[in-house]
Amino acid sequence: MTTKLFGEPVRRREDARLITGRGRYLDDIGAGALAAAFVRSPHAHARITGIDVDAALDVEGLVAIYTYEDLTGPLAEPLPVLIPHPQLHAPRTGYPLANGEVNHVGEPVVMVVATDRYVAEDACDRIVVSYEELPAVVGVDAARAAEHAVHEEIPGNVAARHHQETGDVEPALAASPHTLSFTQYIERSACMPLEGKGVHARWDPDDSSLRVHTSTQASTSVRAAIAAKLELSLDAVEVVAPDVGGGFGVKIVHPWPEELLVPMAAIALGREVKWAEDRREHFISSAHERQQRQEITVGYDDEGRVTALDVHIWHDNGAYTPYGIIVPIVTATQLVGPYDLPVYRVVVESVYTNTVIVTPYRGAGRPQGCYAMERTMDRIADALGLDRAVVRERNLIRPDQFPYDHRLTFQDGRPVIYDSGDYPGLLTKLKDLVGWDAVEERRRDAERRGKLLGAGMALYVEGTGPGPYEGGHVQVLGSGKVLVSTGLTSQGQGHETVFAQIVASELGVPIEDVEVTTGDTRRFGYAVGTFASRAAVMSGNAVALAARGVRAKALRIAADALEVDPQDLEIDEGVVQVKGTPGASIPLRTVAVLSNPLRYAFDEAARQATQFAGPADDSRPPVAEGDAPGLEHRDYYSPVRSTFASGAHAAVVEIDPATWEIDVVTYAVVHDCGNVVNPMIVEGQVHGGVAQGVGGALYERMAYDADGQLQNASFMDFLMPYASEVPDVVIDHQETPSPLNPLGIKGAGEAGVIPGTAAIASALEDATGRRIAAMPLSPTQLYDLVRDETTERTAQAARRTGVPA
Amino acid sequence: MNLDGSAVLHADPERVWSVITDPAVLARTIPGCESLEQTGEDSYRMNVSVGVGAVRGTYAGEVRLSDKDHPKSYVMHASGAGAPGNARATVTIGLEPADGGTTTLTYSADAVVGGPVAGVGQRMMTGVAKRMAGQFFSAIDDELTGRAAPVAAPAEPRPSAAAVSETGVAAPEAAAAAPQVFAGRAAAAPAAVGGEVRTLALGAVGGAALTLIGVLVGYRLGRRP
Repeated sequence: MTTKLFGEPVRRREDARLITGRGRYLDDIGAGALAAAFVRSPHAHARITGIDVDAALDVEGLVAIYTYEDLTGPLAEPLPVLIPHPQLHAPRTGYPLANGEVNHVGEPVVMVVATDRYVAEDACDRIVVSYEELPAVVGVDAARAAEHAVHEEIPGNVAARHHQETGDVEPALAASPHTLSFTQYIERSACMPLEGKGVHARWDPDDSSLRVHTSTQASTSVRAAIAAKLELSLDAVEVVAPDVGGGFGVKIVHPWPEELLVPMAAIALGREVKWAEDRREHFISSAHERQQRQEITVGYDDEGRVTALDVHIWHDNGAYTPYGIIVPIVTATQLVGPYDLPVYRVVVESVYTNTVIVTPYRGAGRPQGCYAMERTMDRIADALGLDRAVVRERNLIRPDQFPYDHRLTFQDGRPVIYDSGDYPGLLTKLKDLVGWDAVEERRRDAERRGKLLGAGMALYVEGTGPGPYEGGHVQVLGSGKVLVSTGLTSQGQGHETVFAQIVASELGVPIEDVEVTTGDTRRFGYAVGTFASRAAVMSGNAVALAARGVRAKALRIAADALEVDPQDLEIDEGVVQVKGTPGASIPLRTVAVLSNPLRYAFDEAARQATQFAGPADDSRPPVAEGDAPGLEHRDYYSPVRSTFASGAHAAVVEIDPATWEIDVVTYAVVHDCGNVVNPMIVEGQVHGGVAQGVGGALYERMAYDADGQLQNASFMDFLMPYASEVPDVVIDHQETPSPLNPLGIKGAGEAGVIPGTAAIASALEDATGRRIAAMPLSPTQLYDLVRDETTERTAQAARRTGVPA
Repeated sequence: MNLDGSAVLHADPERVWSVITDPAVLARTIPGCESLEQTGEDSYRMNVSVGVGAVRGTYAGEVRLSDKDHPKSYVMHASGAGAPGNARATVTIGLEPADGGTTTLTYSADAVVGGPVAGVGQRMMTGVAKRMAGQFFSAIDDELTGRAAPVAAPAEPRPSAAAVSETGVAAPEAAAAAPQVFAGRAAAAPAAVGGEVRTLALGAVGGAALTLIGVLVGYRLGRRP
């Protein structure tokens, strides 16, 4: 990559449009459309005994009311289990509209369509659904205890038992000089994109075609799902992801009931129908993540080197398992992080609860895995009285061990083989960046100010860019404009900018000439989706390969026109020229015109491609055998396995012992995602990730009561961090290119969020000398923890005060 | 699809037959009948209008009676089309004496429906039907028990609406509900009494309305969990 745009902090081209209100989000579409609203279950677990719509009939503007009985064919069947797995022995999914039973508050029961949303909501209010309540299973421990079953036929509430091991763990533990065991918890949070979900559908009765706009992370797959469920031919369905106001994982799940029901209504009524999710709906009927109970036993030697690790996790998957066991697999396989573990065994029991479904939220099981591994490192350090950085350093995979095979199977079914990295390098940079060796000094300074100060660190390795593939299409028009499309969707990450940077660099054109389209099945029909930090790796490489194909064809055509060898040509600033011979050149736009032999000159540029425009070789057909008209190329990138990005975070917290308010005073990040396409965008991704990491560590939780009612389903009660809570982040980069793809890049989307909970838990423990075994932690909980005489003291605290723990 | 049901009326079969085939009575009891004309032996055309939700609109309907077996049974062939959709139904009606001098009216219908009205959802259409049927039966029973309301002023006949294009997705379940809607409409507003020919015709159409409404009720009851 020698051209100058790749690696430059090019300003995001989409921002002017998005921040000045010129974005086109789902709810900006279909102003005249009918509106859908839903009657959702008020109970966590109940049987539906009756639905009376009589009172709704008088609502002026009511158009239609749908219940399960109106669903036909595949639509009347349960929603798909998107990612089946042999270890998912008892998968369950809901129906688009409840079929006799509801398993969480918020499950859709009735869909109302009316002239506008207000009328639809009024009609919903008048529909009376009668229920017979059933016992609710709330929280991972209740699911584990299994006094009641979420699904009658699954008495133990266990959906899957995911198990992987790299050796015989018991003897290894028995032979270990030291072992320690502990149990810890991590709570639920959720993606909370600024824009909720939304669907708009328009049916054209004249050609029997359906166009659906949906706020999704996977438009091609939503298209296939709609075609299958509504029994339409794939070619009769187009799905477009417009501007999407954040996804963070919740919009990779599909088809959401609304993505099938809104098109169903549009077809049935022959009218445009739209639904835009409101915030309460998002809280109680989209998806959550994170809650786990982790039981960990680790063996280690006198130097703190791990000899064996045995992990048993109970993972709350909510009421259904539409996304399979991806989150448990990711937790199980990413837990090992940057460490060289001789023997590792992990069992993740994925259990049902009568709460909102659990599917990937940025990090997708990695924050939990990192929390387990890094807190284990902290415990070993505490037990041996060693520096936490030293214990980590002694366990790191060395740079000369790559490719490093963990002997585990990743979420893409491929082996967990780390492609490249420099973990000691990360740790060294992190210690310098946060001033690790000066922490004791800062602690004393804080004590003088009456504050408790503590520091913590956490390292992670993140599998990014899993397959199976993404594709890209690049076309140069006669105007010189370069059209780039990929099927993968965007949710604000800056794809328009980075893909344009890649194509402009590969093709040698000004970035201003490049236009990028993503997530529109009318433009590109084959794609997987935007998740697992894969957009840059997958579509980035795909559009690069497509651009290289266009470049090769352009050089071939230009070589004919200039009567030189393609080898002697280069493309720069949109002009193909003979190397070292100024003047001997032809604009790329002209090459585009010449690439398509014409009979008709509809404009001046076209005239150059017509049959009498210039000399031609009468012995050859105008379009050579095996060639095609047009200066365009389509290509695909399919990786043999995932790339593995890595990073290290450190947090310094200050606690006010009067209010127990927690202030993150320093947050340092060292980040390695291979070659960087745009450092400004990578830093933006890291900042956003850290914000969600801090939120998950100190503020966010899903406050379910024992009956499965979500007590904090609003932004008044669910505490997302504001800019005022998000610490300033200092970032240092390290670039170890991936040998697995042409651009040498790794993903960066989720990195920032992964180590937040682990690093901050470590810092809180360091500051208070009290064992932190449940996150997130609020000031009130911290206060109670410190007041409670039975709370375990850390050995380090005892060493400091001289009081034995 | 086939739909069956029944309704109890407070009079013996002979009186019920005379009432449900008495145009003057039906003119008073069939809500929404806007115009009516005889088009042949036991066949009639009528325009009716309904005013609920998406099934609001005027329908042009045709009704033909056959296999009349006074006062026990007859078969009605009804079809209608309006902006909201179109429907076709064949209904067999039976009258059986019951306790206390009452009559049990039973019906068995085979119905098909198309158009947007087929897409509004069966709960909604059965809801509409239930309401229409309730109005009609209480009106008929008022006639039978002598608690009839005074006659309403004649309404101006309106042109019948044309059938609408298919959306191509008339689900069987929804389809079953539409004739109910068609009939429900026929039973939706104050009616008019016309001249002699119309008067005769009203009888049969009234029977048609009653029967279709009966279908709605039977359908509704049949669907209860």
